[in-house]
This record gives sequence, C-alpha cells and structure tokens, in this order.
Amino acid sequence: MKEAHHKADEKTYKFGMVIDLDKCTGCGACMVACMAENNLPFRKDNSDRLRSNLWMRVYKISNGRSFPDLDISFIPRPCQHCEGHGHHAATPCVSVCPATATDYSHETGIVSQVYTRCFGCRYCMAACPYHVRVFNWWDPTWPKGMSKYLNPDVSVRMRGVVEKCSFCYHRYQRAKNKAYAEERRELHEDEYQTACTQACPAGAITFGDLKNPEHKVYKLKKSPYAFRLLEKLGTNPKIYYVSTRDWVRKAGDVYLGKEGKDVTHA
Amino acid sequence: MSTTEEKEQAVAENEQAKGGDEQAAEVAPVKPGTWRFLIPIAAFALGFMSHFSLGWVILPPILYAEKQQPIDFSHKLHVDEVGDCEGCHYFREDGSFSGIPELENCAECHEEAMGEDPEEAKLITEYIEPGKEIPWLIYARQPQCVFFSHAAHVKMGEMDCAICHGPIGDSDHVRPYQYNRLTKYSRDIWGWNIAGLSKNGWDYLKQADNSGEIKIEHAARMKMDDCAECHMEKRGTHDACFVCHK
Amino acid sequence: MKLDRRTFIELIVGFSAGAGGGFMATPVNWKLMDDMTIWSQELWPRYQLGGLKGSLPQQGKVTHADSVCNLCPGGCGITVRKVGDRATKIEGREGYPVNDGGICPLGAAGLQLLYGPWRIPSPLKRIGKRGSGNFEKISWDEAINEVVQKLGNLRQKGQSHTVACILGSDEGTVPRLFDRFLTAYGSPNFIRTASAEDTYELALGLMQGTTGSVGYDLERANFILSFGSGLIEGWGSPVRVIQAHSTWRSGDLKDRATVVQIEPRLSNTAAKADNWHPINPGTEAALALGLAHVIIKESLYNADFIGKHTFGFEDWSDSSGKTYMGFKRLVRTEYTPEAVAKITGLPAKKILTLARAFAKAKRPLAVWGRGKGTVSGSLYECMTVHALNALTGNINKPGGVSARPQVATRSWPEVERDATALSGSRRPRIDGAGSNRYPLTRYLPDRWSQVMNGGKAGAIQALLVHGADPYFTTLDSAAVAKAFDAIPFVVSFSTCLDETAYHADLILPNHHYLERWEDLPTPVGLQKPILGMLRPVVSPQFDTRHAGDVLMTIAKSMGGSVASAFPWDDYETLLKETMGDKWGSLEAAGYIVNEGYKPSAWSKAFGTPSGKFEFYITAFDQAGVKIGKDVGYLPHYEPVQPEGNPATYPLILIPTELMRLADGAVGNPPFCTKTLEETELKKNDLFVEVNPKTAADYGLSEGHHAMLETAKGKAKVLVHLFEGIMPGVIGIPKGLGHAAYDDYLAGKGVNANSLIGVVEDPVTGLSAAWGVRAKLTRV
Repeated sequence: MKEAHHKADEKTYKFGMVIDLDKCTGCGACMVACMAENNLPFRKDNSDRLRSNLWMRVYKISNGRSFPDLDISFIPRPCQHCEGHGHHAATPCVSVCPATATDYSHETGIVSQVYTRCFGCRYCMAACPYHVRVFNWWDPTWPKGMSKYLNPDVSVRMRGVVEKCSFCYHRYQRAKNKAYAEERRELHEDEYQTACTQACPAGAITFGDLKNPEHKVYKLKKSPYAFRLLEKLGTNPKIYYVSTRDWVRKAGDVYLGKEGKDVTHA
Repeated sequence: MSTTEEKEQAVAENEQAKGGDEQAAEVAPVKPGTWRFLIPIAAFALGFMSHFSLGWVILPPILYAEKQQPIDFSHKLHVDEVGDCEGCHYFREDGSFSGIPELENCAECHEEAMGEDPEEAKLITEYIEPGKEIPWLIYARQPQCVFFSHAAHVKMGEMDCAICHGPIGDSDHVRPYQYNRLTKYSRDIWGWNIAGLSKNGWDYLKQADNSGEIKIEHAARMKMDDCAECHMEKRGTHDACFVCHK
Repeated sequence: MKLDRRTFIELIVGFSAGAGGGFMATPVNWKLMDDMTIWSQELWPRYQLGGLKGSLPQQGKVTHADSVCNLCPGGCGITVRKVGDRATKIEGREGYPVNDGGICPLGAAGLQLLYGPWRIPSPLKRIGKRGSGNFEKISWDEAINEVVQKLGNLRQKGQSHTVACILGSDEGTVPRLFDRFLTAYGSPNFIRTASAEDTYELALGLMQGTTGSVGYDLERANFILSFGSGLIEGWGSPVRVIQAHSTWRSGDLKDRATVVQIEPRLSNTAAKADNWHPINPGTEAALALGLAHVIIKESLYNADFIGKHTFGFEDWSDSSGKTYMGFKRLVRTEYTPEAVAKITGLPAKKILTLARAFAKAKRPLAVWGRGKGTVSGSLYECMTVHALNALTGNINKPGGVSARPQVATRSWPEVERDATALSGSRRPRIDGAGSNRYPLTRYLPDRWSQVMNGGKAGAIQALLVHGADPYFTTLDSAAVAKAFDAIPFVVSFSTCLDETAYHADLILPNHHYLERWEDLPTPVGLQKPILGMLRPVVSPQFDTRHAGDVLMTIAKSMGGSVASAFPWDDYETLLKETMGDKWGSLEAAGYIVNEGYKPSAWSKAFGTPSGKFEFYITAFDQAGVKIGKDVGYLPHYEPVQPEGNPATYPLILIPTELMRLADGAVGNPPFCTKTLEETELKKNDLFVEVNPKTAADYGLSEGHHAMLETAKGKAKVLVHLFEGIMPGVIGIPKGLGHAAYDDYLAGKGVNANSLIGVVEDPVTGLSAAWGVRAKLTRV
C-alpha cells in the first residue's frame, strides 16, 4: 500500500541472503564482525544465552543420532526480515509492536528497529519465531578506553529496549550517500554488503537484492537444495539456506501439518 | 454534580455549621460575607499567574544553558576570501559530508597569521600550534539515533544549505550556542520557540547576535516532525523509520 | 480575617488548580515531558564509555589502512576502518594473497586487544611476590638499565649461557634480532614455542633433505585426507584453509572434492567432512600404514615417482652386501588391514575403501598436524602421513605438498663475537636440543622446564620472552610454574598482561600489532612465499616501545662486541635495510608474494644423501641419531602411550581446539568468548565432552559437576554429553584457564595444558602425545 506512494523514480529493493550451509564452518567470524560493526556490548559473563546479546547467532544442530552416526551442521541466523504476505502487518514482530518501534520498509525489505521508540514490552520477542530479537537487560558498558572502537554509524542502545539485526542498514545509508554524491540512485551489488557477509571467511553468505536477476542471490535461492527456516509459518523470510544434506533441510523447515497449508510463497 | 460531590458539599456545610456554632459561643455571629467567593478565585488567579509566568518566562531560560564558541568566527570574511562554501564544507569521496572543518583545513591558510585579529591569534596559539582540534559547538547536531545524509538533500534533493542552516554565510560573528540542560541537545533542534511552534516547518527566526547589529537567521526547528513533513510533501510518504534512524 | 479550615482549603485548592491550569497553559510542561523522555533514553553519562568524551560515538573522516594480522601464525591481510584517529573495525583485506577479504573471529576482535584494559601502559616492575600481580610503573630508562645491569652481571660472571629467549617464531627480523642478541651476548638458548612445524620441518629434512616449512596446495587438491587436523578450526592459516574448504564445497556435487577426517571426535572439520572415521586416539600412524598397505598391494601408487625418485621403497643392500628392509616389505608384512583394524578400531573394509578412494583420486593430499597444530607431535606419525603423499607422487605437484622457501631478504653482517660470546654459545642448550641425545632437533620448547625441575634449577638465570606466552601454552603447567619460580629474572616484551607477563619481574611492553612496523614471513602451511608488512594503523596508545628498538638499546648499553653487533640506528632503519630493494613495494602494497613460485621438479627436489625421496632415512646415521632397530629407519607405527596408569586412569583425555577460542600466545578477546556455546562454558566452568555411554558408566549426566583427574593435576569441570566423541575419550577445550588478563577472561575454565604432560618422542624429544590418561568422578 505504501509502495503505491513511492514516486516512479524511487528504486526499491528486496534485500536478502542465501547462506550456504555446506560451506559454513561455524567459525563465528560473522558473529564477531556483527558485534564489532553494530556496537554490541559484552559482559564479563556472557555464558547465559538467554540474556546474551547477539544479532547474528550461529546455531549448532545435530541429526540426533548416536556415535558414530552423529552429524552436525551450523545455521547462522540473522534477522530473517520476514516480508509476510501482502501487507506489512504480516511480519510477526511488526504486527504486534504497540509503539511502532519496528517497521517493514518497502523500499529495502528491511525490518527496522528504532531503539528510542521502543519501550521494552518484548511482545515482538514473543512474536518472532526465529528468536532474532534480544532484550537489553543492562546498560552497555565498555572498559576504560575500549569505547574508542565504537562505530559512529550505529546507535548505542540503552537498557530496557529490544534490538536485532538490521542487515547493517547503516551500510545501505553509507552506500546511498556515495551513490548520491556521484549523482546516481541505484546501488551496485557490491556497494551494500552486510558486515557478516563481508567477514565470512568461507564465503558462505551471499547478500543482495532477491528480485534483481543480476544479483547472485537471485540465482542461488533457486537451488534445489535451498530452503527457508520454518517456511510453513508463512512468514516469508528473506534468508535462504542451502544444504545438500537432507536432514539439515528437514530440520530447518519443520513440518507443521496443516498449519500454513494454504500459504503461497512469493 | 455527582453524588459524591454532593455528599462532600453536605459534609463541608455541616462542618461550617459546626464552626459557626463554636464561633457563636465566643463572638457575635457574623454572616458570611459575599466576598468569600473571591478567595478561591484569587487563589486560582495567583496560582495561575505565577505558574503561567513560570512556564513562559522563568523556566525557559533556566532550561537552556549557553556557551560561547571557542573562536568568534566570521563566515562573511571567509566567504569573501575563499569564494564559496565548498572550500571548507565539502563532500568527501565516500559521499559523507565534512561538516565542520578540521584543524587541518584552517591550518592550510592560518599556519601563520594573515592579519592582526586577536581571534586569529587565538586560533594560532591555542589550536594550530599545539595541534589541538577546535572544539566547535555544533548548532545542528542531531541525536545519536538520527542518520542524516547531506548528499541526499543537497545533491539529490537540490536543497539549499540555507534552508536548514539559514544564511549563516553572511554572518560576521558566531552566535552563542545554547543547549538543553536535560537532554544536552542544541536549542536549534527543538527550536527557539519554547512551544516548539513554527508557522511552518522551515521559517526562520530572526535573532540579534552579540553585537546587536547583524541579524542572523536560522531554522526555527530541526525536529523529526519537520523531516517527516517535508518528506511527505516532497516524496508523498513519511518513509520507513530506517531512513532517518540508525 | 481568620484563616479557617474552609478558607485554607479554598486557598490551597484554588491555588493548586490555578497553578495547574496556569502551567498547563504554558508549553513548558510538554517540553519538559519531551526532554525527560530523551533524558531517560539517551543518558550519555549512563553508558560507561570509559573516558571517550562528547556525544557518542563521534563522527569523523573515514579512512582505511591496510596492514597484516599477527594474532596467530595465519598472517592474514587486514583493512582497518578508521573514523578520525580511532580504529573502529578490522576487516579482511580484499585481494590479499592469504585471505582475500575473509577474516576469522579473533582477527575481527583485534581492536578489543588494542583498546582493552589488558594493555600494559608503560614499563612495569614487579613489587611483592611473583604471581601476585603487583607491579609499579617505572621509566623506560630505569627498565632498560635494570636489564642491562642484570645481563651484564651474568655475562661478567661467565654465565652468559644461562640466559634464554622464548619466542613464538624464529623467522622475521624481530625474532632474528633476539637470536642475534643471544649470539653476540653468548648463549645458545633461543627457544621457539611448540607447534606441529617442529616435527614437520624435521620430517621434511629427513625424507626430502630440504629446509623450510611445509606448504600444502590445499586449493587444488581434490581428495583431502586429514589425520586429525582441525582444518576449519584454526589449523594452518585459518582463513586460507576455510577458503580452500569452500573451494572443495563449490561446483556441481559430483565434481566436488572429498574430505575425509580421521579423528576420535566429531570436530567441526569431521562434521563438515564427507566421511568421518573415528579411530582410537594415537593410532593415526597405524592407519596411514594400513592405507599404504592397500595402495602398495593393489599397485595404486605412482610407479614413476616411487621407481625413479625414491630410496628405500624396495629392499636394498649396501656396499658390504647387507640387505635392508624397504618400506614396501615393512608395510606388506606388518600393516595388513586386519592388523590395522585391530589397532585403530576402524573396520578393515573401511580401510580398503578409503585407501582405494585416496589413491585413485586425481589430486589426493594427506594432511598432518593435529588440531590447530599447537603441539609438536610424533615424528614417525608425521613421516607415515608424508609417505602417503609420496606413494601418490604428490610431492611438489599441484594439489600436493612441498617444502617452501621464504621470500629472500638481505642478510646481516656476521656477528663478531668476543671470547665470552664464543664460549657461551658453545655451551649445550638447556633444553637438550642438538645434543647427542636429540641431534636433529632445534628447539625443545616443552623440555626446558622438565630439565630445570630435574635437578638443574639454576640452568636459566634470566629469561626474555617475546611474542609468546610459554607460561600458558607449554604443556604441564605445574612444571612450567615451578621452573619459572626458579628463574631469578624474567623479562616479558608482551603488549598485554598475559600469563608470562603476569609472572615476570619486568615488563617492557611492545607496541600493539596495529601500532608498529614489522615484517611477517610466510604464514604456516602456505605453498607460496609471502612477505607481509605490519604497519602502524594508529599511533601508540600507551607508553610502549618497539621490542626491536628496546632490544637494540639494551645491546648498545651493554657495550663491547654486543653493542657493535647492532650497527643500526633503530628498528625502522634495520627493517628498511633488511628489506633492501623490496622495501618500496612492501611499503606501498604492504606485502610481496611470489605468485609464480613453483616447487622444484622431482629430479632436483631432494637434498638427501641419496638425492631422492627417502623412505629409509639415511640421514639418521649421518646425524648420529641412535635408532637401534632396523624398522626405526622407516616410517612405522610406534605407539605413543599417553601418560598415566590405565588402571587408575581408565579414560583418555584429548584437547579440543575451537575456532572461537584462542589458545596460543594471545588471550581470547571478549567478543570471541561471547560466541562460545552454552555447552562449552557456563559462568566460570568449562564443559568436557563425554560420550553418553561413558557418562552412564560413571553415573554422570548433562550438566553434572565432575572431577577430572590426570597424573598432572585435577580440575572441577561440567559434563556435556556428546554423541560425537568416542566412548572412553573425554574432550577438553584448550584456551581457557587464564589467571592473567582481565575479568573478561581470567578465572574462566581450566587450562588444558595443566592436565596434560609431555611424552617425549624417542627420536626428536618433542612432545609426541596428543592426550593423557584420565579419570572422571562425580562431585
């Protein structure tokens, strides 16, 4: 609906990722790059994952079998930037936010989170089927001198608000800045890449415009081995995964019986 | 009148009656004066006037603190000398805007004194020689949750600098920097009108500077509403949050 | 008028209503509400930003500076994003020949080490008991004087040989400066910390007659057989190997490379491999020989290479007519799949299949060096794996293995030694390397502490440590601690308060790696020579000095021939001179790579006495190694018994190395510790991995506390049930158990090295064992 208001010259995108789980080694570089890029705080004890703040989290899943038939795979999980179907209220978190602190952008397909708007009710955390949202239980603190590395392009978040992966939205802003300065509106594929994509030593993450046939993700998402997490919920997420291992694909798209049966996927 | 109030009134009247009885025992009964109704009105008026003036007159100046810029800089002089704004306020290669020039820029010309102005001497002895960046106070600095692209507005939107910053290039002196004691933000963000009102989003407020001679104009407000209003007008949409937020 | 109750109420209510109304009629109440909201959500002082002033984080001009990372031996190119003079992010450098844009978690967290509270702000001198962590700041002059005085005294007393240096590397100008210092000063005791390189260099020297480290052409191999190497967990140059792994995982399914992992535990590498074969810990050599058996028996080996370019494959006789057993006969008779199946626990059928697949692959490659390659390992095991590469003719070939040289730099003038230096340098080394017992070995990093504790407590009077944390990384922590206690003077050049610095008498902090110039020779495992250049990305944050400069100042202050061995004004001059005509391109590009480098052809590749690749090691006799039995001249299986009595310690504890947990000279930064799984660390307790079957035997379940005990020590741990580990084996992560650094790392977990002792390799004296016998009891 909002889309209709966009002027004709406004370029719109549908940014998304294809993550090759055959290549992902679970090394964690994406997690650290994300933390460094997005000013994520850390604490002396971060071992409680329920309260630990990670935008990108690499899950370790197993096929549940016994020695020596056990197999393991890693699933890097950023925000899935669910599009939902049809209207923006279908993004699970956006539809429940009473503060309009989170929003689906039809220009980029990115689900935003505005920290100064959020008042910390955490409905969105309950609504998100992917556990991508994290709550700031504490004000961020940095040991003396360490705040020097903070990135000025990303806000520092306070205690009591929810935050999550933004697809490094500030990098999109940066890229647009550069494009504008060069008097053009459209971005090249390599101009806007997320921190995790850039860092991944395995090159397992590919990021781009899912609806642009010239972008790598366009082709990769059509792999016969591609799947999305909990696809049958109808959240229409923008993160595609590729794995040639059958059990991984099955584990990633848990079958929920009749639920979501009638949903068609864009 | 609700029943509760009626009861209360009844009780009050009772009490008054009792009081009257007590008084009657000592002095001659006095019929309550007709002026009595003035008491609450006077009290109300007093309360109203005091707080009305508190809100309009007393608090606003207390809410803001004032600082002087480190150097009394003359834009006019520099524009005449340099010829344009872009010599000091330019776009970098990556599309970011340089904003307030760094010391390096100043030192290009002021490595040694060009005139006899005491302000220039201050620049050289206090900043250029020790290599210390000048702690300019930035009138238009937005909160840390705000992203603003000069490239989008100036290059793409073809907006004139003065629309937001006023014709600052014509000023001879810098005006004092005022900031909110609570939020620490520049007064220019909320606007100079304490009510946050502006006839339209982008009119200018005329204010005399220190010398009282030259009028400098600057944007009355730089609030999110102003961004949204203009975006609505120009683009037909308020835009998603992740346009101006970061 | 009397103020009666009614009047009073009227006044109060009237005034309040008026006040409320009056105030509501002003904008200030709404304004204040707005301000309060902002105040409550943007309270800058509330963020404990540690001294950074102003609204945060500050904007500024963005620049990018290229350098090289030296947090591990991987040597990746990095690009540092700067805002003003602050470094804000480390990214992999695009186009760098090692890592082409990729970065590992440790490298990405490097700024936490730069700006962290564990930095040493100035020279520090210990006050109070050693290990109490009490230091006082002293000036550089005082600090340098102290070293000069101590070393001067020792030299005067004719005890120059009691000074030792421990470094993380022996290549590059700074390690060479330390070596030169010892030469001029008069000590043979330059020690390099342990790594699989120790053994691989020896194996290559013996079998191929080459010097230099091993280079694997991983990118072009299409069948990778790894004997416990944590290929994607930090082995070699981590990012480069992960990128090679992605190459193997690219393209059509049928064209993809095959990866086979031999390891008793389902590591990440094993999990990503096409096939994982868990075998009994320490039996890798037997399996390699079993595979060789099948390859030889079925004539699947490269007959051209074996026939023309190898020695000792077939039986042979010397000039006196004595016949010697060749590798072929040894393998054919001793290592049948059935026999090997018994040793390794891997069924004979699987050995057959694996051997055939390996030998028939287009470019097979057998890879050696367990985990991240932080332990020296067994020589014969290394040789058996290397023999597999020889059988497939995979030496100096695309997709193969080679001994690769370094980028040549200018040599330095010969040190003119005085009498003290000469006599001191000729004394035997403290660790016994190069002695009659271990004539081949250059350094025995795990042995010097054992020697000191074994009755030679005064053997080291002064120890200089640079680029290493031997107090933490050396096996058998208790022995190391004891040896450290016996050293009267320990000097650390560390930038961070690591374990060694924590137990030092004097700390002379080096610049952080983003603050200094230094050359970085070819990263470990790379097949082409590369020279990288660290360069200052930010100005020094503290009162630190370049270790090269400090060492030269010390030498110059000592006077005499020690001083004259260092004719350079400062380190930068020396660096430029050493790089010679390469300096220009090094300064401009930040690195030099010999892209066209190709290993020599077979006919010219081998510098052995026979001029061929030797299965039978003739160099043993030349070097004077006492081998004893005939089979000892051939790659064979010699069980390395893990320390401990099987009756007391029924289980085997093996260290596990994680990509997200640095276990070398650099402590894990908070970001990396934050990424640890909840089955690896919980509060301050670490988990050990136990197979559910084993756990059931000891009455343990998930999350139970247990006492883990070995002959070397014991520690309280948490139990994590893991179906991926072989029954009877326990896995313990390496890299935790720091007492130094900061609360972000100190006190978390247990140092695996404190539980594992040294089992000496009979030929090299290096630490050959990968594990230790252990028991686990519920507490």
